[in-house]
Amino acid sequence: MKKTTIALLAALSLSSSLTFADYPTKDIQGIIQWGAGGSTDTVMRSIAPHVEKELGGDIILTNKTGGVGAIATKYVNAKAADGYTLLMGAENPQMYKILGLSDIDYSDMIAINVLARGTPIIVANNDAPFNTMQELIEYTKAHPGEVKFGSTGPGGLTSIVTAMLDSQVKLDYTSIPYNGDGPALTALQGGAIDVMPAVLGATIEQIKAGRMKAISIVDVEANKLLPNLAPITDALPGMKSYLPWGPFFGVFVKKGTPDEAVEKLQAAFQKAAFNKDFVDLMQKRGFTIMNISGEEADYFLEAYRSTSSWLVHDAGFSKFSPEEFGIRKP
Amino acid sequence: MSSQSPMIKTRKPGERIFCFLLVLGSVYLFWQAYNISGFSSLSSPGAFPLAASAAMILASCVTFLNTLKVPAAKDVRFVYHCFPPVIATIMALILIYSVVLESLGFILTSFAFLFISIQFLYRRSPLITLAITLFALIVVYIIFRLVFQVVLPEGIVPEREILSSIKSLWR
Amino acid sequence: MDAFNYFAMSWLSPELLGLTALGTFLGIYVGAIPGLSVTMAVSILISFTFSWDVNYALCLMVGVYMGGVYGGSRTAILLNIPGAPSAIATALDGYPLAKKGLAGEAIGLSTIMSVVGGFVGIIVLAIAAPTVSEFAITFQPRDYMMLGVLGIMLVGSLSGSSLARGIFAGALGLLIGTVGLDPMTAEERFTFGVVELWDGINPVAVMIGMFGISEALHQLHHMNKAVVKQKISRIIPKWSDIKKYMPLSLQTSFIGVIVGALPGTGGDIAALMAYDHAKRVTKNPKVPFGEGAKEGLIAPESANNAAVGGAYIPMLTLGIPGDAVTAVFIGALFIHGLNPGPLLLIEQPHMFWFTVGNLTLANIFVLIFGLTGIRLFSKIVECPKGILIPLIFLLSIVGAYAINNAITDIWWMLAFGVFGYFMRLYGFPVGPVILGVILSSLTDENWRRAILSERGSVGDLFINLFHSPLSTVLFSVIVLILFTQSPIWTKWLKRKLFR
Repeated sequence: MKKTTIALLAALSLSSSLTFADYPTKDIQGIIQWGAGGSTDTVMRSIAPHVEKELGGDIILTNKTGGVGAIATKYVNAKAADGYTLLMGAENPQMYKILGLSDIDYSDMIAINVLARGTPIIVANNDAPFNTMQELIEYTKAHPGEVKFGSTGPGGLTSIVTAMLDSQVKLDYTSIPYNGDGPALTALQGGAIDVMPAVLGATIEQIKAGRMKAISIVDVEANKLLPNLAPITDALPGMKSYLPWGPFFGVFVKKGTPDEAVEKLQAAFQKAAFNKDFVDLMQKRGFTIMNISGEEADYFLEAYRSTSSWLVHDAGFSKFSPEEFGIRKP
Repeated sequence: MSSQSPMIKTRKPGERIFCFLLVLGSVYLFWQAYNISGFSSLSSPGAFPLAASAAMILASCVTFLNTLKVPAAKDVRFVYHCFPPVIATIMALILIYSVVLESLGFILTSFAFLFISIQFLYRRSPLITLAITLFALIVVYIIFRLVFQVVLPEGIVPEREILSSIKSLWR
Repeated sequence: MDAFNYFAMSWLSPELLGLTALGTFLGIYVGAIPGLSVTMAVSILISFTFSWDVNYALCLMVGVYMGGVYGGSRTAILLNIPGAPSAIATALDGYPLAKKGLAGEAIGLSTIMSVVGGFVGIIVLAIAAPTVSEFAITFQPRDYMMLGVLGIMLVGSLSGSSLARGIFAGALGLLIGTVGLDPMTAEERFTFGVVELWDGINPVAVMIGMFGISEALHQLHHMNKAVVKQKISRIIPKWSDIKKYMPLSLQTSFIGVIVGALPGTGGDIAALMAYDHAKRVTKNPKVPFGEGAKEGLIAPESANNAAVGGAYIPMLTLGIPGDAVTAVFIGALFIHGLNPGPLLLIEQPHMFWFTVGNLTLANIFVLIFGLTGIRLFSKIVECPKGILIPLIFLLSIVGAYAINNAITDIWWMLAFGVFGYFMRLYGFPVGPVILGVILSSLTDENWRRAILSERGSVGDLFINLFHSPLSTVLFSVIVLILFTQSPIWTKWLKRKLFR
């Protein structure tokens, strides 16, 4: 009895590793790059149930934090390329190479789906003596070193937006780093910092409630959620070359995963991302649904990598030149 | 703390060496902290580690100097009172356990570890040990793996396949 | 009247009532098992309750939260392994009580005082949430830094007989807390080029090692010693005891609410500060602290449960999480289609009183479940060591792995376990190490932010401190404690005088 069970199980595990026609035959593990309660976590946890329905199998979600997501990326790439381990991440890996954090980025993986993209926005404390981008620039120029900019460490959204600004206009401000945009936006409301670039979704509720003011949207046109807010290109037309730009959320598998599994996953995620509940959630939070895969996703990822890498490199805080990795100039 | 004598009047064997090692360790950590950003500025990433390791050096030096003054405790032997064979054995067992955990998987290694260590410490019939081991392992597995979905190292046991075949029987 | 209806909502619906009870019950066990955290449990519940009505999901999660914070004390008292960092201070005096055969009484007392703390938190949430949250976000980096310093001064009260050894342990903890990529500059600190160290060493791994493993190794010395028979005659504490300790419990509950409401600090720091407070205000404890003083058990237990209500204050009023668990709650609300933020209470006015009512209910269930099963639990201490010790090792290893699904955490846990064994052997206290780990990033980061805000000038930082009433008060408290009551100072004086 025992023997036959073992033989059966062995046969079962063998068969499932050989043919992927009936993928998935076991639970899929989804590795989330960021901690519980963060925006990546929230997005992944809200799409996973829809995907489970499409796939007809369970996805076990696990948060594996550390090294701005590099530990999760490394973990997934150390696992077998069988489609049973998914990397659920944000934009960070695209900067790993030039920041010297890891030698794997999304170009070394297969994109299952790039779900959505966020739009950066510049917000300020309500008592700050400026209301528009132009006033912010003038005030900072008139009071060198007095304006406190919040930041979230090199390679993060704030650092790239400030790098864009620096490429257009030389500003002398004091940068106060925080451990993520949550604590930084809290500090902004408490007056510990004056200005901060952040993702629209993280600030929209506070702006609507009048707890902070929006200075400018970092995009080429106004956003639906804040139709009266002028895009940054009004004050700094030169920014057009970088925009639209924004952080994104995506799901990836290791290179070498069998095509059947990849196709099934892509199809499942694509259907799930069209789900009305999910679309509503994302729009309410100011995220633009992308729901792209295949070549389209690769193109988007490459464009993001090249813009951001060169910005960071030109701003002087990259460890290696993008050229070393064959990242083309935008 | 539970094991703390109210006033350290004597020193245990190995205490002096331990304190000396702490001094060395602190100096090494201070050097590492210095290497982060030197004495560049008060807001540099290395400032706080430098301060902490400096405090460690000071405190460990004071402790070490004290052990020089204090006489050794009588009738206390290192291998008997401080580091008896049973502790060394268990430490070795845990070490082996954690080394092979990832490659062999949680179920096999934990079973072996529990069985051997309970047998070694409890010394009853192997059948009782086996029963306790199995019971504990099943409870831990249910709580961690099934309820809290902590995917424990699977190693050579195809756990997920087994689970899904059990699940398909259910359906 | 509406408020009352919403308040009573979860009390009157059998389903909601049942889910809250279930959540609380589960939470107590989640909290008790080291490595399983409430944050993790609530995250899993998000996926699990995805298709449910939001109120049902919230009831289950609130129960888990309330029960989980309380549950951490169980293993702290019984096995000296705090189930969560917020129960570290509980272990300091709770475990000695269990070793004396008073585990039942200790759990009973901690249950009652946890519930008292829980209610204080809920009451403050109900009547003063907007005021407290506005106060909480005015905390500037320098204020957080001073809170950290206040916490670090606790090393004095955790040091036992040798202050130098205590300071060493505390400084070591602070240093351990800085390991990893610096969150402000991404500079590597003590990582030696190892990627696995980038995220630092998890405090829970240090905690399980220093407390659990080192204690279990120590127990191996006494294998032949008979196990302590537990007195289980008295579980519900004497009324006179409750009355006697009530003022302390209330004071430390208020510490808990405020520290819990601050977006940068949580129940772990609240409990440690409460322990310190208890030690300072209790002039003549019946039993010395660290050897089973009931005051040392009551203070952290009241504070960490009060911190639950506190953490909800900024979350419900401003959409700012008060701790890691409320951060996950915000995510859950979002997934359920609500808009957590400052407008939440305008768009969903029922949310506030529903939560308050639900928390109250969960707190009552903590009382009920907390006082049952104590006899059974106390038996754990009577379990033969030959079985118990291997099980503690297994649980520690699985717990360390569960934190972040990483083998590295097991390595750290074991390394600190062995190191902790030798530290205890040679009279070094292990409490300050954990204290240091917990307070390290709070102090380090805010010190640097404070300095950066003043463009690198310590002088300006010091002068500007007195422009803010809050900072002035905090600064005065530090100075006052340092020069009058701090054991650091008195011990030093004593040594000078009596040697």
